[in-house]
Amino acid sequence: MAGREPGAAAEALEGRASTEVLEEAKSVEFTYRGIFQKTLAANLCKHVVMANRRREWLGSTIQRYSDSPERNGVPAKQFAVIAPDEERLQEHLAKYEPGELDVITVLDDTLCDGVESWAFYGRQPINLRLRRGGTLIVVSHRSAEELLRVIPRKPWPWTLAILPGTPSMGGLWVYRDDGTDMRVLGAIAKVRPDIFELEAVEEVVEEDEKLGDEHLEALRSGYEEVRVYEVASGEGKEDDYEPVRLPGYREMREAIIVEACKPGERNPDYKTSSDRTMRPLVDFDACIKCRQCWLDCPDEAFDVTEEGYFPVNYDYCTGCGLCSQVCPVEDCIVMVNDLEFIEEGNQDVFPKWKEDPEGYREWREEKIARGRVRHSGYFNTDVWAPVDGGTAERSREEERG
Amino acid sequence: METPGRVLKLDPIRSIKKAPVEEYFESGHRTCQGCLSSLPMRLMAKAAGPRTIVLGSTGCMYVANTTYMTTPWVVPWMHTQLGAAGSAAVGTAAGLKALMRKGKIKDEPINVIAFCGDGGGADMGLSAISAALTDIEYNLLIFLYDNESYANTDIQTSGQTPWGAVTTFSPPGKKHRIMQRRWKKNVPGMLAAGHPDTRYIASGTPAMPVDMMDKVRAALRAGGPTYIHVLDPCPKGWHYDPEHSVELGKLALETGIYPLYEIKDGVLEFTGITKQIATGRRRRKPVREYLEKQGRFAHFKNQDYAYFQKKVDEMWEQWIIPCVVAFSYGGPINITGSEPRVRNKNVERVNASWTGEPGHAHEQYEGVSDAPSEPWRDDNRLDEYPNALPSTGH
Repeated sequence: MAGREPGAAAEALEGRASTEVLEEAKSVEFTYRGIFQKTLAANLCKHVVMANRRREWLGSTIQRYSDSPERNGVPAKQFAVIAPDEERLQEHLAKYEPGELDVITVLDDTLCDGVESWAFYGRQPINLRLRRGGTLIVVSHRSAEELLRVIPRKPWPWTLAILPGTPSMGGLWVYRDDGTDMRVLGAIAKVRPDIFELEAVEEVVEEDEKLGDEHLEALRSGYEEVRVYEVASGEGKEDDYEPVRLPGYREMREAIIVEACKPGERNPDYKTSSDRTMRPLVDFDACIKCRQCWLDCPDEAFDVTEEGYFPVNYDYCTGCGLCSQVCPVEDCIVMVNDLEFIEEGNQDVFPKWKEDPEGYREWREEKIARGRVRHSGYFNTDVWAPVDGGTAERSREEERG
Repeated sequence: METPGRVLKLDPIRSIKKAPVEEYFESGHRTCQGCLSSLPMRLMAKAAGPRTIVLGSTGCMYVANTTYMTTPWVVPWMHTQLGAAGSAAVGTAAGLKALMRKGKIKDEPINVIAFCGDGGGADMGLSAISAALTDIEYNLLIFLYDNESYANTDIQTSGQTPWGAVTTFSPPGKKHRIMQRRWKKNVPGMLAAGHPDTRYIASGTPAMPVDMMDKVRAALRAGGPTYIHVLDPCPKGWHYDPEHSVELGKLALETGIYPLYEIKDGVLEFTGITKQIATGRRRRKPVREYLEKQGRFAHFKNQDYAYFQKKVDEMWEQWIIPCVVAFSYGGPINITGSEPRVRNKNVERVNASWTGEPGHAHEQYEGVSDAPSEPWRDDNRLDEYPNALPSTGH
């Protein structure tokens, strides 16, 4: 397992260029939001394997052990492994999870600033196990410059491919399929023809009775729309990732005793901020100190200040939006896309308001104007709208006739 | 009735301002976004205070809260087996009592709370909970958080899953649209009716946090074995946007699907919204408002909503105690001496599925039109939907 100790992690990072070793097994990772995008990831893995059957390669898919059972919004990973023969496939599958990845596909761009899906692993860079010359595909409306402000640097050049699109929930059974899985497959075929060719996946789609012409169309649109950006070595955010050190059996206590949290402190070993797609931004001027957000927060993310205000601790806020719903004051708590806060990170904004309320208000309004997340319904929210601009609700109505 | 052993002095929490600031279940757990099962854990620990031992049987709140060698619990917590919430609670309470009697530890009141999910409590651990509630010499609280499925292992049908809901065990098909054909088990009512010596049994929901904390304190004050049943909206299993968790919890109360009540020393009192409905101060909302907001009921047709409404109406109009005791008077003599205020004796018991018709009676609603007329969306035209009328009769 990579990351057991610093030495092992460095070894895993060294990597070989996948184009140098053509005949070796290849691994494709899909990083997604748990539950919301699980069907998307499963579909994608299935199609990677099926497309490789066309050239008589073998393939298999695995989910990272710690991601099952999945939770809403918690980052999860699924892998497709392909190999020219059974021996090499078996060799690859015998690992706990792939150590070097040829392609990493990120289905929600707010995952770019790191993934923490299990305690003690810490917040891992999204491209931690990317091979030399590997490709990171992100579904996003943002530019490469913006994304590279949160994606850590690598000591070798790699490729960033951006497929324009909103994070999709298409495939959860009450959401309409919006073709995002097909578009991602098209993007992979364009930027990495060594994984599979466009013709191969087209054949798979044509043969599948459940898929129609619109899926082929989506596949080709993904092939055409994907933008490629060559990232030089050293380009990107400075990496502050410290490889994990897992406790040995001598350090474990009898009966698996775990130290409790200290009173008044939060669990220091597991932070949940990478669960977040959007974050609550509080207007302290409008706050009536009713305590409702604080009491209803399942993650206990609200601090209590001496003045009676409730600023959010962004290390632990999962961005569920419950506080914005229970707050009785209109627009006091507003949910804003998390990638708007690249400079601030998880820093507490309360001191900012205390020092300069006027400046805070301006800053907040600017953030809201750029990144406000609006919801329009229950199981058909508009945040995860289909690419064509229609809403899931409208599509359902059309279906009913 | 005398309290068995001493209990902690816990003041009632009647308002949000009286809720203590200290947390005993902290941040840093791997639950879903908007998880309303971790909220009752937090509120329960907050209400119980630092002198508490929590026992957790397997389920979401065990697995997600033991995130690889870390824990959000501040108070002592121990994992027990899946169906063993009741046994573990009795064992712990008895052990503490023995240690105190022998002078091995300081003689002081300590809260013992065992929580279990609906799978661990209402299905597997029901016998152990029942046994614990008959052990009246021990102070303990059984806290059942009910998210209506086996949510930890990716949503399988449990005894608490409502009629018609989609789970991985009951997907809607072409031949049978409704695969979950069992009506939800009434666990708090069952336990209250079957354990007359239990001094406190209550139902709550984290969507009403103050009410829930108050009930936890009341249970711990009462002494002896006590039981609280909590309905938790689960965004993962119920398929809705996490931010609507609290709203859905409130809708469950407003539609009358889930009642809030507490039974203190054998006297039942409705609380909160349910009290307003029971005393005629509030109309029940049509159940459709609650059901259509959840993806697990997205396959419902008008006939299914009609059947569901009928069953909920029965709970309110024909049960001996609405929503709690699931039978009606058998003969002309009123054995209780006074009729419950809410019961409507004018309601005819025709077509009541529980009066002895074989099989599942939802087929009788097959004739209900599926035309998309939605009068229940408009509050002013509520009368057009007969089953949505308040409990005063048709």
